[in-house]
Amino acid sequence: MTTSLLAAPPATPLAAGEAPTLEAFGLDPWWLILAKAVLIFVFLMLMVLFEIWFERRFMARMQNRLGPNRVGPLGLLQPIADGLKLPLKEDLVPRGVDRPVFILAPALATMPAFLAFAIIPFGPTVSVFGHQTPLQLADLPVAVLFVLAMSSLGVYGIVLGGWASASPYSLLGGLRSSAQVISYEIGMGLSFVAVFLFAGSLSTSEIVASQERIWYAVVLFPSFVIYAITMVGEVNRIPFDLPEGEGELVGGFHTEYSSLKFGMFMLAEYVNMTTVSALAVTLFLGGWRAPWPISLVDGANAGWWPVLWFMIKLLLTISFFIWLRATLPRVRYDQLMKLGWKVLIPGALAWIMVVATIRVLRNEGISTQQVFFAVAIVLGIYIVASYLWDAVRGNRRDAEEQEATAAERAGAGDSTGGDPMAGGYPVPPLDAPHYHGRNSTSKEVNRA
Amino acid sequence: MGVINLGEPRVGTISRVAPKPIKFVLNWGRRYSLWVFNFGLACCAIEFIATSMSRHDFIRLGVIPFAPGPRQADLMVVSGTVTDKMAPAVKRLYEQMPEPKYVISFGACSNCGGPYWDSYCVTKGVDQLVPVDVYVPGCPPRPEALLHGILRLQEKIAGESLGERYGPASPVPVAQPQAESRPPSPAVLRRPLQRPPQPTSADRPEDPPEASPENPPENPPREPPQPPESSSGQRPDAAPRPGPLPPPNSVRGPADPSEPNLFLP
Amino acid sequence: MGTERTVAVGIGAEELATADMTLNIGPQHPSTHGVLRLRLTLDGERISRAEPIIGYMHRGAEKLFEVRDYRQIIVLANRHDWLSAFSSELGVVVAVERMLGMEIPERAVWARTLLAELNRVLNHLMFLGSYPLEIGAITPVFYAFRERETLQRVMEEASGGRMHYMFNRVGGLKEDLPAGWLDRARAAVREVRSRMSDIEWIIRGNEIFRARTRGVGVLSPEAVLQYGVSGPVARAAGVDFDLRRDEPYLAYGELFGPGRPGRVVRRTEGDCYARFECLLDQVYVSLDLADACLDRLADLPPGPINVRLPKVLKAPEGHTYAWTENPLGINGYFLVSRGEKTPYRMKLRSASYNNIQVLSELLPGNLVADMIAILGSMFFVVGDIDK
Repeated sequence: MTTSLLAAPPATPLAAGEAPTLEAFGLDPWWLILAKAVLIFVFLMLMVLFEIWFERRFMARMQNRLGPNRVGPLGLLQPIADGLKLPLKEDLVPRGVDRPVFILAPALATMPAFLAFAIIPFGPTVSVFGHQTPLQLADLPVAVLFVLAMSSLGVYGIVLGGWASASPYSLLGGLRSSAQVISYEIGMGLSFVAVFLFAGSLSTSEIVASQERIWYAVVLFPSFVIYAITMVGEVNRIPFDLPEGEGELVGGFHTEYSSLKFGMFMLAEYVNMTTVSALAVTLFLGGWRAPWPISLVDGANAGWWPVLWFMIKLLLTISFFIWLRATLPRVRYDQLMKLGWKVLIPGALAWIMVVATIRVLRNEGISTQQVFFAVAIVLGIYIVASYLWDAVRGNRRDAEEQEATAAERAGAGDSTGGDPMAGGYPVPPLDAPHYHGRNSTSKEVNRA
Repeated sequence: MGVINLGEPRVGTISRVAPKPIKFVLNWGRRYSLWVFNFGLACCAIEFIATSMSRHDFIRLGVIPFAPGPRQADLMVVSGTVTDKMAPAVKRLYEQMPEPKYVISFGACSNCGGPYWDSYCVTKGVDQLVPVDVYVPGCPPRPEALLHGILRLQEKIAGESLGERYGPASPVPVAQPQAESRPPSPAVLRRPLQRPPQPTSADRPEDPPEASPENPPENPPREPPQPPESSSGQRPDAAPRPGPLPPPNSVRGPADPSEPNLFLP
Repeated sequence: MGTERTVAVGIGAEELATADMTLNIGPQHPSTHGVLRLRLTLDGERISRAEPIIGYMHRGAEKLFEVRDYRQIIVLANRHDWLSAFSSELGVVVAVERMLGMEIPERAVWARTLLAELNRVLNHLMFLGSYPLEIGAITPVFYAFRERETLQRVMEEASGGRMHYMFNRVGGLKEDLPAGWLDRARAAVREVRSRMSDIEWIIRGNEIFRARTRGVGVLSPEAVLQYGVSGPVARAAGVDFDLRRDEPYLAYGELFGPGRPGRVVRRTEGDCYARFECLLDQVYVSLDLADACLDRLADLPPGPINVRLPKVLKAPEGHTYAWTENPLGINGYFLVSRGEKTPYRMKLRSASYNNIQVLSELLPGNLVADMIAILGSMFFVVGDIDK
């Protein structure tokens, strides 16, 4: 590796502020790589602290509250107090758990979450002590796949933690998590495909570079929507927080975890939230590139400025998560699976078909306008036809339904109408089926 | 189910060896990060919820009410009437909490039985089951009273030393029965009320025959049970830990002979 | 562990055999708001058997009634259903007044009606907040408690209590309403009505909420009659029964009827969503009723609000049954007196006890996640079950 680097100096000398390509990676001296790795770790830890604070305060404002405000200015030190306390609590390992797995699981959940962040580009090439280096730890030709792999690995921590806890709640939580991940990872992966088709690369830096003109969130809006849904499912947050499902499963997979191990699960959740948000920014929201009116300013995409744009976009995505949590109820387990398998995955596949067709047609020399024109005609015919269909068939069915409900109502009135009080006091029907040990209720109820 | 020696909680080592400034920081962390587990039993639970809502909002004080279960909680607020049927569950959930843990008894019922003082099935005070740190009087107490109780608890945490709380060094060595060297037999669980362990010193040749487990002789004799009505809401000396400290090698858990076994079947 | 085994046919059938899992929900579980315990037998995540185990909150109130005099009973009567304290104490005093044949002043009648309706709103607001919370939506409960605090302030101003009012006395109310209170109460009612839409919009139209509750836990009118289910749960199943209209007590006779503000909210679906909607609409009705009571109270000439009682109050020998439409359903008090200052027996028929019994019929066949939705929509108070 090093010899090849020494043998082949960079073909294209990097200039500060330029969008790096894959060739720009692997040239850093060791201290710079180390510094970047440590910085990313520190950044993620700080982001977790910030997110916890931000979530509490932001949600509190949505709920007419103040949120933590006693510890430090604006309660900023609240997560630090939590962080000081959590590891020093008694570390309980309940009896009957599978000890090695129980101890390993939190680490298994946390580490991939950190690793995945290595390929997120924070900015273009900058100069650090005279070295021209991209603001990104590493890039691979399959960088996005690396993120997918890491997030799948993280789920093992949850599943194994739930299994090892030897508690029914944890077990159900772990099972749900595994079911959730197989239905959502696929949708998530498919939502990336359109991006790959457009960018022509799986490397994050090149995907950012290809969004110079317009964000993929605009061009590939359906992909973006699918990703936005699946990323919430990926990090187990409301409305898809079934593995934890506070009201149903107490704490889900981490019911039996305490102290540092619980803290690591919590850490993993928030790091994951940062990672999927950063991925959304990178793949769909233009990465570190300045948003439109600012991007016209000269130098907005150069130097250290892009870190600011990246952070702003990241925070907005994270607030989206918090907004969801403050608003939505939790979906049911089977509804979630239904959404994943019957809506998101077919939708993503169909959209990929459309994107691929457009790409191919464009390669053939047919302009996008022509394609849109043709599609519009087909759609128009389809809509008109379906209206006609409704007009012919729908009326008849409506009438039938109305009759049916009317009949039902009449039937219901027969069995329940009248005075439930017989002679001043309500008298239970003495021959009701459940008095005879049967569970089902019969239609006819005799009132004494 | 046999008797298990749960052993000493492995906390407090850092607090023991750490210098004072670090101790202060650690106490500060515990003080302002009280994840609360609401043991909502009755009317007072509603006032507890009201305290966590917009008008009173104890989350301001760092009391985070989103601990889903006992394993992640630092503070248990027992709000409501503890019945004899519920008592084992209260004790069990308390034992599931990791040390260091605190208990606020919220409302007259959990302080002393409240309006159900003469009921045949109500436990007259949760402090017969678990050590209570702060009592909040009222039936039900106003949310402001709970806020005050939380502040008092935070003051208490700020002033305490985990090293002393869990440390082996006890100024007054509490006599332990020899049975402590081995786990007690399950028969302990089925034994009726038993006398508290005798103090070693000869200054108490015999216990008063009516010494009940709620009044272990190591404690200063308490006043007759009364609803605590001081405005402070705190009765710090009334926590019925056997003595100021748990005995060094005591068995934690249901088989602890120094704790009242009133509610075991 | 359940003993039931289903054996798959084919290779590896032994490995694929599934055993049922028994799951104890409660007594302290986030979703049981209180200490109801359910013993569920699960097949995967589907419930095959459910058995509510009650008694964790049994405080022996009925026995204690027998050693308290008629004033002291009120303390215990408003504590068994802590969300509808005023309505519960009302039942006791109505029973005693009926035994005594006592005529209570008109002002007291209207003030009681007003406070009972405000209490109904308070109760319903609690469930309107806690039900979405159990399904996972955090925010509505904060809105609900904002309204609760608004109403609790006026209730507290009149009675001195935030939850347990102790404002009823045999023969009327403890004391007259404070000066200027009617206007403040009117303002509070107006405020709550104007902000109810916040709660309504955030929950009622939510697609996820609908998907979680529509068609889930459908209660048939037959089951309602068989189990004696009452209150909004029964009315959501289509049973058209409301004591306020069908056997009026207090001033309800003048409030219900054509052209008057009182109406009985009813649904026919019988599912969780219908129960929730019933509760929501009842809040509006109760606010209307409260407004009507306020108007009437303002028009009434000044007069006494209670009856002077003897030092020792003894009910004559005999028995009576008084029932009221509590927020959660029918509360009945069967009072037997031997002419002493304490009742000989006071049997309490509480709404939640009957409402919860139907769970063993509702839950089987549903998912664990649905159990939460069903449990939350049965609107029970554990103290009201166990007394």
